[in-house]
Amino acid sequence: MEIAPVHPPVATPPACTHCGLPLPTLPAETGPHFCCAGCEVVYETLHASGYADTFYRLRAMTPTPALPAPSPVDGLSRSILDDARFVAQHTTADADGTRRTVLYLEGVHCAACVWLVERLPFECEGVLEARLDLPRARLALHWDPDRITLSGVAAWLSRVGYSAHPLTVAAGRTAAERRLLIKLGVCWAIAGNVMLLAFAFYAGLDFTRDAALTSAARWLSLGLSIPAVCYGGSAFFRRAFESLRHALRTRSARHLHMDTPIALGLLVGFSHSAWATIQGRGEVWFDSITILIAALLTARWLQLRSRRLAGDATERLLSLIPPMARRKKPTGTVETVRSDTLNPGDTIHVSSGEVIPADGRVCSGRSSVNNAVLTGESRPEPVEPGSRVAAGATNLTAPLTVRVEAVGDATQVGRLLSWVRDAAVGRAPVVMLADRLAGYFVAGVLTLGVVTLGLWLNRAPGQAAQHVVALLVITCPCALGMATPLSMAMATGRAAHAGTFVKTGAALELLSRVDTVVLDKTGTVTKGALRLLEHTGDPGALRMAAALETQSNHPLAAAFLQSFPATDAASPGAFASIPGKGLRGRVAGHRVVVGSPAWVRGQATVVPSECAEAVDRALRLGHTPVAVAVDGCFRAVAAFGDEIREDAFESLRALHASGKTIYLLSGDHPDIVRAVARRLGIRADRAMGGATPEEKLAFIEAQQAAGHTVAMVGDGVNDAAALQAASVGIAVEGGSTASRVTADVFLTRHGLAPVLELFAGADRVMQVIRGMLAFSLLYNVAGAAAAMAGMVSPLVAAVAMPVSSLVVVFLAVTRRSFPFPPARRRLPLSPPSRETPAPFPAPPPQPGIVPL
Amino acid sequence: MNILFLLVPVALLLAAVGVWGFLWAVRDGQFDDVQTPALRILLDEEPPPPDPEHTP
Repeated sequence: MEIAPVHPPVATPPACTHCGLPLPTLPAETGPHFCCAGCEVVYETLHASGYADTFYRLRAMTPTPALPAPSPVDGLSRSILDDARFVAQHTTADADGTRRTVLYLEGVHCAACVWLVERLPFECEGVLEARLDLPRARLALHWDPDRITLSGVAAWLSRVGYSAHPLTVAAGRTAAERRLLIKLGVCWAIAGNVMLLAFAFYAGLDFTRDAALTSAARWLSLGLSIPAVCYGGSAFFRRAFESLRHALRTRSARHLHMDTPIALGLLVGFSHSAWATIQGRGEVWFDSITILIAALLTARWLQLRSRRLAGDATERLLSLIPPMARRKKPTGTVETVRSDTLNPGDTIHVSSGEVIPADGRVCSGRSSVNNAVLTGESRPEPVEPGSRVAAGATNLTAPLTVRVEAVGDATQVGRLLSWVRDAAVGRAPVVMLADRLAGYFVAGVLTLGVVTLGLWLNRAPGQAAQHVVALLVITCPCALGMATPLSMAMATGRAAHAGTFVKTGAALELLSRVDTVVLDKTGTVTKGALRLLEHTGDPGALRMAAALETQSNHPLAAAFLQSFPATDAASPGAFASIPGKGLRGRVAGHRVVVGSPAWVRGQATVVPSECAEAVDRALRLGHTPVAVAVDGCFRAVAAFGDEIREDAFESLRALHASGKTIYLLSGDHPDIVRAVARRLGIRADRAMGGATPEEKLAFIEAQQAAGHTVAMVGDGVNDAAALQAASVGIAVEGGSTASRVTADVFLTRHGLAPVLELFAGADRVMQVIRGMLAFSLLYNVAGAAAAMAGMVSPLVAAVAMPVSSLVVVFLAVTRRSFPFPPARRRLPLSPPSRETPAPFPAPPPQPGIVPL
Repeated sequence: MNILFLLVPVALLLAAVGVWGFLWAVRDGQFDDVQTPALRILLDEEPPPPDPEHTP
């Protein structure tokens, strides 16, 4: 199935002059306009320092990869950069007293950012060198601590729009990558030199011509091969041994890993060659073996490197809990301490705009907090003394004093993150397609080996061993072993540039097997925000009602005011808010009632037929109708609802056409969910409303128990557990930060089109892999036949093996699994969360919903 | 052909020097980022060093 690449929405709204994101409101005048105050400040700073021309020119030159939106950082979190223990642990000192460190820098995405960030030495006195690693957003800094503090550097960076984070997660992955790269380099160097020596044999050097030289060349090859096999090939032997032990324990060849036949070929080829060298007769295969090791390591290194982007993004999310806290001492003074030194029972002070460092209860202060990290809900939640607050939430309006109840890994966020860390090691590995072949492959090769032995023992017993070795060496599945890692590497790398972060290759393979897709409604299929869909009756009455709505904090009130700005003021005395029904009050001398149609109808005498129809229509479509009566007359109806995304219809049709069963699952009222399902063409019995998080989880597990491979698409609000339990969890943009950490795949683009692209891409990857496996098997069958016929010499093996690997590499590079991103794709469509919240108070609960 | 007894070890020595250079480059982080240096070449103009005598 061919899917056209997704283009940005057709009607492009005017864009912010600085960041290029669509503007929330139409600009009144021409000239530079901005999506938020942050962009305006950065724009002016750049102009004031004379950097603007070069910055905007360079930015237009390079494509922008879609990266996850940055998380907010405040002055307090920055202060860890000056903490003595941090400096001791994370920075290194040079001989002259200057120091070096590496920081995560959020908000960098193009050449202009590299240029601007590397202006640091000219802007900040005391910074000696600043080097930015753009794809990984890492800033290597060399500075003089006597002249500038690290937090001073971070403050300058935040003025031009980048936030610097300490690199808290250990650099384990970089070290592993470097180790493998070194192994790779050493193995290729050995392979090259062994091959050079082997050329002498191909050219005709043997014992009959020059015994001393032949013997020296063989011993030298053996000496070079020993490190290649023992150091370079150690990983293959270790994994093969483990899988053999597992297969013996379970008495099933199904658990054999692709490394088993590789290790078998390497071991037999190497021992035979070593024996031949010691004996001084027989063939040697050192060249084939060393090339094989180097080629296989190359494929694995590419795979490791391609997961970088997804891995880096996850690690960045892991630094959710702010590293520093303000602890109140019993004497009343406030000290700044590291969050990990807090204890339950401590009292901490959280200023407005700061992230709460620990779970606890508010002791004093009234404020509102943003829990988007945990729940994805960006609407501020009011807190007062006694309310619980969670680590990772941002305190928005006023300072709070919080009594700490849990710190570090015991907090909600901490538990989630430590669970992710454990799951990364403990999760049962998915048996990949190539590995499923391994058992049959080993059995096949061994059978052929026995047949060859029998055949040649009859014809020429002296040559039997030699031909069996030739068979095992030539069938060593080099191309077979490279096919999966190479294709996965190409696919995940390309997907990451298009804003789809696939964390494991296994997820890609599972995606192609998915037969059941479970969609979350709010935020995934719909836009996740209430808005006016239609209105009937007197607009004047609606504007009067708006005056009452200004007094209410109901989510519908916000959506109401968005569409009908209040012109009059409500008389303060007569106002009444009846929970679950509506509002009543006096506006400009008139008695106004606004609320649920049933309740308003009870207060009004005449109900016009078009209004009654509008109410019925709204209920039928799953919208929420709001009725207005003025002076006892039913005057107007406005229908509010959560709009379905434009791309949902097309995407669901395509998903359906590819034979997947689609379920719609939501915590919303069953009527609303059914109505949305009807409009999307999902069968009524596959749409479930009013589902609690536990029910969602149970539903996924039941489907899996019935033998289905289930993909769950959600934003992590109320479905983090389901996302995790599903065979493949896909977190969509706009959800909670935590869901991005737990999901197998996360998207930085809105809507269902990227999901569709992901499925199509995964199908293509698997198609490529199947093609490669078929080719490799064919090659091995041909090789085995030649070896049994006694036609394989070391020269034939040395030519045939690299050729087969090259074919596989060529296929992997040329077959496109994920479309290349267009030359200039904009950043995610939502403004980064560090900026002001979206104009909508998204996503409000609707009447009759199970509470979030 | 006895010259090979000298030339092959010399060749291996050269290869060892290459491997040593590679090890240094990897440990120095030269291969950690292969994209930004390609962009850095676009950033040609260095702003002139601050010159107090000529600023008004």
